[in-house]
Amino acid sequence: MNLDHQKLREIVGEENIRDNIADLYVYGSDASVHSKLPDIVIRPGSIVEVQKIMKYANENKIPVVPRGAGSGMSGQTVPLSGGIVLDMKQMNNIIEIRPEDVLCKVEPGVINDELNQVLKPYGFFFPPTPSSGKICTIGGMIGTNASGNRSVKYGATRDAILGMKVVLANGDLVTLGSNTKVDSSGYQLAKLMVGSEGTLGIVVEATLQISPIPKIRAMGVANFNTLEDAGNMISQTIAQGITPSMLELMDNIAITAVNNAQGLNLPNVAAIVIFECNGMIKETVEYEIHQIKEICKNNNGAGVKITDDEQEMTILYSGRKKLFPSLSKYGEGLYTTALADDMAVPMSKIADTVKKIHTIAKKHDVVMSAYGHCGAGLIHTKILMDTTKQTQWQGAKKAVKEIYDYVHSIGGTTSGEHGIGFSKGPAFKREKQDSLEMMRAIKKALDPNNILNPQKLMDSPNDWLTATPLRYQITQ
Amino acid sequence: MQATTQTKTKYLQAYEKQMNMCIRCAYCFEQCPVIKEVQWDTDGARGKVILSYGLLTGELKPSQYIADKVFRCTFCRDCLDKCPSKIDILKIIENARAELVNAGFASDTHNYIIQNIKKTGNIYGDTEVIFQTQEGTTPLFIGCQYLGRPNKTKKYIKILEKLGIKPLVHEEICCGFPMEVLGFKEDYEDHKQEFKKKFPHDTAITFCPTCTVFLNEGHNIPAKHVLQVILEKLPKANLNMKVTFHDPCDFSRGLKIIDEPRKILEKLGVDIIEMKHTKQNSRCCGGGGGILMTDQALSNDIAKKRIREALDTGVDTLVTSCPTCETTLKKAAQEIAESEGKSISVRNIEDIIWMGLKHAETP
Repeated sequence: MNLDHQKLREIVGEENIRDNIADLYVYGSDASVHSKLPDIVIRPGSIVEVQKIMKYANENKIPVVPRGAGSGMSGQTVPLSGGIVLDMKQMNNIIEIRPEDVLCKVEPGVINDELNQVLKPYGFFFPPTPSSGKICTIGGMIGTNASGNRSVKYGATRDAILGMKVVLANGDLVTLGSNTKVDSSGYQLAKLMVGSEGTLGIVVEATLQISPIPKIRAMGVANFNTLEDAGNMISQTIAQGITPSMLELMDNIAITAVNNAQGLNLPNVAAIVIFECNGMIKETVEYEIHQIKEICKNNNGAGVKITDDEQEMTILYSGRKKLFPSLSKYGEGLYTTALADDMAVPMSKIADTVKKIHTIAKKHDVVMSAYGHCGAGLIHTKILMDTTKQTQWQGAKKAVKEIYDYVHSIGGTTSGEHGIGFSKGPAFKREKQDSLEMMRAIKKALDPNNILNPQKLMDSPNDWLTATPLRYQITQ
Repeated sequence: MQATTQTKTKYLQAYEKQMNMCIRCAYCFEQCPVIKEVQWDTDGARGKVILSYGLLTGELKPSQYIADKVFRCTFCRDCLDKCPSKIDILKIIENARAELVNAGFASDTHNYIIQNIKKTGNIYGDTEVIFQTQEGTTPLFIGCQYLGRPNKTKKYIKILEKLGIKPLVHEEICCGFPMEVLGFKEDYEDHKQEFKKKFPHDTAITFCPTCTVFLNEGHNIPAKHVLQVILEKLPKANLNMKVTFHDPCDFSRGLKIIDEPRKILEKLGVDIIEMKHTKQNSRCCGGGGGILMTDQALSNDIAKKRIREALDTGVDTLVTSCPTCETTLKKAAQEIAESEGKSISVRNIEDIIWMGLKHAETP
């Protein structure tokens, strides 16, 4: 690629450019299964620098891929067409906090948990709570429309975005959205940017709606011997009008993995459901948590336990918190791969979907867990397999397709919170076939030279398995 | 999909499974002192594991650039705590270093230290750095850092004697940790045999947190840190001080010694005001892993961050229990005092214990 390194150095300074093969190798992968090297990594420190980089890239038709912590699981930050990776972590200022307006303004490199630490003395928090909250950036959360375990009550990142500043493909800076909770002024372009995975613009500032920290919190756990019982419990909880702040499911494979990795002693049952209620009034929280407790019992939930002790709640949730990476400890020679990782289904279909996932996994000789923010209809899965074997990858590919075909057939969607990248490209394109051209038209209007994170979402390759070299050694 | 041909590496091969288990989640970013300071993915714990994987597969060739990155680690152990898959990240880094040293990319300063150990048995390359032998009942391992600080060593020995313990002191050689951590594995294998001859004990009291960890993990000697021993016998005193305590990484995360120094200070009438990051979650001083010899500016930046946390507590004294932490933090505190006018005194815990013993309440 014909890159003018000197020009880019002049924009951001020598210390903010890296083009050694070692850096390109590291920035060529994320938490997905893929890898592809960029040509250069640039760390902008200001909006003006981002504008200059984009202007140069647009004039020279050079791909640009924005990146936060690089913890995405679907290959969003893997530069499929090479070019520039924009590491946004240095733009990490909290610009202002306005408790009276229930909002704050931040740069995209701010880390979720660090924002919450700063908001805490004001009595507020930013509700989307991904498990990766201690390391993920607000920019990355916007890119994928991340949500997390509290999405059942507070929604996803999109619901907490009021506005933003975006540098467009040509380097122009636009301000989108507003500082208000309601906004009926034309197209909601700020919301459109959320979940666009860096394909429409570079978010350089975000206006976030914040929420008062609930004063009262209580948590509970219940064990189920069948997935049907667990699924019914979740569905009935939501249908009865209770608003838990968390409603999480872990299947048996997930339970085994966290027991192995974290040394926990969770019971060997078909499913564990963890639930939380929060609010400002003790009686309300107590009422709701006891209601859920009763629903658990009515659905054969065993070992039902509720607590409002902070330490006990931390212990109760510790297994779920580090579940995804713990899956690597499920069994000898089985490694976690982020595939088919976050579908969402109608609430009543959770148990059926989890069982279907297990059946399909068995058919294709891979291991799959199911867990997640089931109160929001979201199911996380991971494929555990021997990544050194070609046959395992072929089996995984078939399993991924069959699982998504099932999810679509019951009215579910390909991704609930991790986004599409290109791991999920084929399934996404099948699901959204009616609207792909609409998406492409929007993309073309905003990025006519197709430089912003190309080959993602609706333009992703038809076969995720051959789209890039995998980042694993395949020797058998 | 492309099948790659497996490349044989001398040291990293054994860690292939561990590296496959790394799902590159970046949870190790949370408090990695290097990435927090440098803000480049390559320099953090995950970056080093990815570089190691590249060396293993042959996708990356050993180079000075990669060596600079892989040696940019303080071995603070925080990534081990944060990694949910419990991958032994430091072992991977250590073995990547060995590959790089094997390929001729050892730094001059690291090489110098290793040659010193081989020639003289200690990191200073000075045969005069020895301690007066003395008869006793409990084998004492002083370690290079304390051999080079004879006044501190004398103080600790006197403390032990005052508490009724008779340390057995004899000629010793380095525990070998620098060889292992800096990638000189073959030298370490020879040194390990020599160490066994010079230190033939199956128990020990140690002064240095790192030596304590390494005697336990590297030599399988169930060594106790001197503070664990002191706590059992220390009388009460009322020093009426208020300090903050910096947990050395090898202490709080390596040995899981968290309560002992606090209980000692409490016994001596010293109040502790904890820093924001403390105990198991303590921040690194920036002095470990060989970084002090190769990247002093980075080491100093990390230390200054820690001193700023200490200043935020409002106390005028920081106490620690590791000579390396003491050195790096003292330098950082001095520079902050000169440039910003905010001062805090950095002291090692043995000074406080010594002072306490002088003012001890008689039973």
